Amino acid sequence: MGGGVTQATVLVLGLDNSGKSSLLNALRPPEQRASLTVPTVAHKQDQFQSGGVSFSAWDVSGASRMRALWERHYRYANAVIFVVDAADHLRLVVAREELELMLAHPDMFGRRVPLLVLANKSDASHALSATHVAAALGLERIADKPWHICACSALTGSGLADGIAWLARQLREQRSNK
Amino acid sequence: MGGMSRWLDVVVGTDDIDINTLPSNIALVDLQNDNEFKLVVGDLGRGEESPRLKIFKGAMQISDISLPDLPLGVVSLYTSETSPRSTPLIAVAFSTCVYIYRNFKLFYKYYLPTVELNASEMEVWNKLTDPANHNEETILALTETLHNMPQKILSIQSRDFLAMTLEQQLEFLENSTDLPKKRDREIACITTLRMSSVDRYSVSCVVVGTEDGEIIVLDPQTFTQICLVKLCTVKKTPYQMVATGLYNVDYRITVATREKCVCLIKREWKEGRLLFSTEEHVVAIEVLTADSSIMVICTDNTLASYSKKGKRQWLVNLEHRPVAMTLVPILHLGVTLVAVALASGHLHLYDGKARRDSMFLRDVVSVMKFGQLGQEEHVFIIVTSNGNLLLKILKRTADFNPHAAGIELTGAPVAQKPWLIPKKSKLFLEQSVRERETAVAMHESFQHELNRLRLLAAKTLLEAHTKSDNFIGAGVMEPIRLSAEVEGLGPVFRVTLQVENTSADKAVVGLSVLFNVHSTNYKVYNPYIKVPLLGPGNQIKFPTKIEEIFSENINPDVFFRNVTGQAGEGSLIKVLLLKEGRPNPVLAATVTMPPTDPLMIPYDKIQSSGFGQSDK
Ligand SMILES: Nc1nc2c(ncn2[C@@H]2O[C@H](COP(=O)(O)OP(=O)(O)OP(=O)(O)O)[C@@H](O)[C@H]2O)c(=O)[nH]1
Ligand SMILES: [Mg+2]
Repeated sequence: MGGGVTQATVLVLGLDNSGKSSLLNALRPPEQRASLTVPTVAHKQDQFQSGGVSFSAWDVSGASRMRALWERHYRYANAVIFVVDAADHLRLVVAREELELMLAHPDMFGRRVPLLVLANKSDASHALSATHVAAALGLERIADKPWHICACSALTGSGLADGIAWLARQLREQRSNK
Repeated sequence: MGGMSRWLDVVVGTDDIDINTLPSNIALVDLQNDNEFKLVVGDLGRGEESPRLKIFKGAMQISDISLPDLPLGVVSLYTSETSPRSTPLIAVAFSTCVYIYRNFKLFYKYYLPTVELNASEMEVWNKLTDPANHNEETILALTETLHNMPQKILSIQSRDFLAMTLEQQLEFLENSTDLPKKRDREIACITTLRMSSVDRYSVSCVVVGTEDGEIIVLDPQTFTQICLVKLCTVKKTPYQMVATGLYNVDYRITVATREKCVCLIKREWKEGRLLFSTEEHVVAIEVLTADSSIMVICTDNTLASYSKKGKRQWLVNLEHRPVAMTLVPILHLGVTLVAVALASGHLHLYDGKARRDSMFLRDVVSVMKFGQLGQEEHVFIIVTSNGNLLLKILKRTADFNPHAAGIELTGAPVAQKPWLIPKKSKLFLEQSVRERETAVAMHESFQHELNRLRLLAAKTLLEAHTKSDNFIGAGVMEPIRLSAEVEGLGPVFRVTLQVENTSADKAVVGLSVLFNVHSTNYKVYNPYIKVPLLGPGNQIKFPTKIEEIFSENINPDVFFRNVTGQAGEGSLIKVLLLKEGRPNPVLAATVTMPPTDPLMIPYDKIQSSGFGQSDK
């Protein structure tokens, strides 16, 4: 209580190969980083601190077969990071569909859970801009949650800090308002 | 019906895409071995544009190669099994040759073998080129011999020669002393056939169909001919081939021809056979791998299914002319649908003859294909007749079962077959008269036979029962068979034990079945089953439930298990067959339990694996 560190459970969602695990890897202190990420099976837990918030992150598998398992985590989530591969133009519609299914789920709908959308792989050629991704995902239609989008690269780390800082600010504000 | 759609539309910038192609000229290829499938299109060009091989990543064209001629077919194949995997080859067929590309570079050109000239034709030309024979009479006589040969087998030079007047012929012979060249074969269509494994990356060979009605199979390493078969005794021109099976094991090449019929070639057949004929021209065929049945769309607005023996199973009348067809296999739903595009711009998906989905595309389809594109497994790729590219992705939650919402029930178009009621024959009428006249006698004789049958059955049972005692004494349990079958996705499986008595005359009594589970991983609901008397030649099934038990601390490895594989060491369950009064089990079998589908693992177990307990 009081000046203590805020605790938050954040759910990292996104299609397979979008860079969720790479992203969490980039948020670790340099000496703890793995040099290679492999496709995640089921889910993994990870910790990181930012902006006075201690995050406990759930990295799920984005494979088509495994996406049905996402909803099992919704009830506990205090925040959601939705990772999109901005260079995979073809599957933007699939990302949009999964995002809409998540937002419409009874365990999510109407809850003021902050949503951070990361347009990842900004370093890749043909990567779309954050505005382009926001339009493709139809983010402007989200009314029940505070949301924010930024372009980032899990490989170079650029853009990542800004996004997480926004999320930490949202969570701290929410706690202090209670 | 936007909200109900099972498909996600990919927004494709149409400005710079203009594709003019044929159904055979399109392939989905893992070009760079990174599981990111590219769309490879043999484009015929349009107007000034020359033919090109275009490569698309998603809807974005990333490269192209100029082609020397109009492409007739584009296929991709692996020709060696190396590790790490080599990149796939792309074969493009033109009228007289096949170009093979590796890493976008021309790597090999294959020319069809030329046709040897007919011996008697050659003889005529030997005489014709001899100056001593250059007088009217001999030439007239020789021309006559040429004329009497079937036109089809003659070389171009002979055909031209026959069309000349006598003066022209003389002049021609003065100026040239060449013998006619061998005749070139022409390619009509191309496909691939797996050599010895159905694996996605296994070695395939190129199969070429020629205008002369032959099918040629090429060796995957050397690209030399390893097999040449005539399609049919009567000349048929192939235009679409579907090869299923394995070249080294057993295969079928189903061939649509331009002569309103479908032919078949099988392994070790010296010549292909006519499988069935259609009333109108065939637009396209597809072969379902499950039962080798053949789907055919024809210009008389029909979709029909033929058995692998060539018998028509059903026929559906379509509202408009069909223009394209492709298979839509959806593995996780366990169905293979058939997509049929109509000239009206409609696209229908059929499961058998039942329509499961419909789309209206506004544009008429020219070519379509379903498969993996990019990272996405279920993509419908549609090229429209005005050169646009449409991409539709199947929703993860889509369902095609007939009870799902949004399916219009198949209406009138499905032709209802009338009942097959045979005409009353003379034989039938006579029999019915006899039955009326001698009803009592017939009934009595039937009852008599029935009683005899019952007596025989009782006698046999008694005999088997008496013999069954000796059976124990002898201790031979060979005639008893025990087999088990596991069904379900888990964690609760249904195991059906089947105990069979194969003996011809002995029954067996006093048997029982006992389950022996090694680890605590499984719970058997009914571990001891008493088997009742088992008559000779009889079998009894015992279904039992077996549940996989997960410990409180679930091992994350269970999520890694392949659902179709086996669950490993702890998953063996022993089934013992016991006989009353014998200290040892008479038979034992082991059942390997499949792993539980990760999606079926109980929710509370996943939770106890640590999720949700945010650290205090
Ligand atoms: N160029 C580029 N590649 C990236 C970036 N982030 C991730 N990748 C690559 O994308 C691939 C997939 O990354 P992962 O982090 O395993 O993806 P994921 O979302 O965890 O995938 P699943 O666990 O299968 O759901 C890897 O080969 C990464 O190297 C990025 O910012 N730029
Ligand atoms: Mg991952």
